[in-house]
Amino acid sequence: GDLGPFNPGLPVEVPVWLAISLKQRQKCRLIPPAWMDVEKLEEIRDQERKEDTFTPMPSPYYMELTKLLLNYASDNIPKADEIRTLVKDTWDTRMAKLRLSADSFVRQQEAHAKLDNLTLMEINTIGAFLTQALDHMYKLRANLQPGGSAPSQDF
Amino acid sequence: QGSKLEIPMWLAKGLHDSKRRIISVELPKIYKEAWRTVFSADANVVDLHKMGPYYYGFGSQLLNFDNPENPEIAQTILQASTFISRFRRIMDSSQNAYNEDTSALVARLDELERALFRAGQKGLNDFQCWEKGQASQITASSLVQNYGKRKFTEMDG
Repeated sequence: GDLGPFNPGLPVEVPVWLAISLKQRQKCRLIPPAWMDVEKLEEIRDQERKEDTFTPMPSPYYMELTKLLLNYASDNIPKADEIRTLVKDTWDTRMAKLRLSADSFVRQQEAHAKLDNLTLMEINTIGAFLTQALDHMYKLRANLQPGGSAPSQDF
Repeated sequence: QGSKLEIPMWLAKGLHDSKRRIISVELPKIYKEAWRTVFSADANVVDLHKMGPYYYGFGSQLLNFDNPENPEIAQTILQASTFISRFRRIMDSSQNAYNEDTSALVARLDELERALFRAGQKGLNDFQCWEKGQASQITASSLVQNYGKRKFTEMDG
């Protein structure tokens, strides 16, 4: 369909999908978000490594945006390789923290946990595993009740 | 009367009646005290696949028979002795791309743990597939691929 009007030389905000599409057609230059910058990302990575809790990320879609922009517009992003590494490092730290959290949750047999500042990407990667594990734990715990649960055949 | 038999679990459950005492069940050794001690020392070294690949499921079913050791058995199956202490390794190795050879670990897992391991791997694989950009590639479903072949031969004959 028709797009515009766009004034040449004037930065304008558009949805990501449109930006990528225009970029692929070589009709524009993309400006990375303010947080996609080496110093800022180093700060975030360091904080992530230092703290036990999860750092609030500058975007709930930091992984998705990084991947898209570095794939299609790396020429518009200064120090793209460093940025890629920094984001990957931060992701790895967060996932390790998530596993640590999951392990202590299971060990202490908690009923509830609250984890702030996780993004959907992280939740989805570990989600299926964790819900299945907790489901098993729930069934095994039911064993502890004398004559409580009806014996289930679905192991 | 007084004889020992091996029967399937479903049969034992059917015959079991705490009031009439038709049968009594002897615990397989992995659920007995000696093994329970091994579990509490280090559950990670035990080859649960070899000891009976449905350790958790079968163990849970065993609790149906009134055995005085039941509370201890239930605790061991669940507790720091087993599921909980083995959980960490299963999670870490299934979710980590850097783990070279997981086959040695998987060989020692019982069926329930293996299913869990596969769930963890799938989460990781899906992530890596997305990362490589394969998530947005459209691939023909295998059903459709076969369909195409058959249609061609129908036209011929």
